[in-house]
Amino acid sequence: MKGKSAVAKCNIYTVEENIVMELEMPGVSKDNLDIVVEDNLLKITGNREHFRPDGDYLVREMNRDDYYQEYTLDETIDTDNIQAGCENGVVTIELGIKESKKPRKITIS
Amino acid sequence: MAIMKWKRNDAESHTRDLDTIQREINDLFNMDFFPGARGLFDRNLFPALDVVEQDSGYQVYCELPGVDKKDVDVTISGNVLTIKGEKKGKSEKKDAKFYRKESTYGSFQRTLSLPKDIQNDDVKADFQDGVLKIEIPKMEEAKRKSITINVK
Repeated sequence: MKGKSAVAKCNIYTVEENIVMELEMPGVSKDNLDIVVEDNLLKITGNREHFRPDGDYLVREMNRDDYYQEYTLDETIDTDNIQAGCENGVVTIELGIKESKKPRKITIS
Repeated sequence: MAIMKWKRNDAESHTRDLDTIQREINDLFNMDFFPGARGLFDRNLFPALDVVEQDSGYQVYCELPGVDKKDVDVTISGNVLTIKGEKKGKSEKKDAKFYRKESTYGSFQRTLSLPKDIQNDDVKADFQDGVLKIEIPKMEEAKRKSITINVK
């Protein structure tokens, strides 16, 4: 990754035994989003090349760099069960937990 | 005589100078450990705004990730533009257990006074990928015209 990158705001929570990540990436659509899982590393790249209009900036508060974020996944995450979606500039990634790591009830015989 | 950089002598130019100083100070402190904030002075209360001037008009951008299109309200009266709305958290769900929460929710409002040369009856707004883009054309007279000077 060359150049500076922006850091997205991130929410992480569990719901129904899945881990959900929400990353705020305004200006990123489905087409310029790249999510890669490499061993235990989750890499999220949001390209915003198209998001830099020419002109004279009278007010400039927005960061228009590309997004790049890396997260390490521990052994409880089922890397084959990862789903992602993108809506209104928010990327949602759902990470499944491995069956063997889920809490289970032990019946007393 | 050397050519001097033309400086716009209006109220905005001073704030722009301050902005530059602020940005430089912020660059000294890399704020990566606090995502979303772009510097020491950034308090994250308002959605970020960009105003871009082009030959034909102005473009106003507003960063609103996670906001629904129907919750955004844009009004223009004279040359004052107001963007307001509410960000409703999708994740305010039943029994969600949070590990990390960096997003803020609730209502927001930003008011901006635009330059005088705008044509406020032909404003277009578009909301895509969490970014609101408002296009405001300039008045015909204000559009930059290039004149060719013939050298004899």
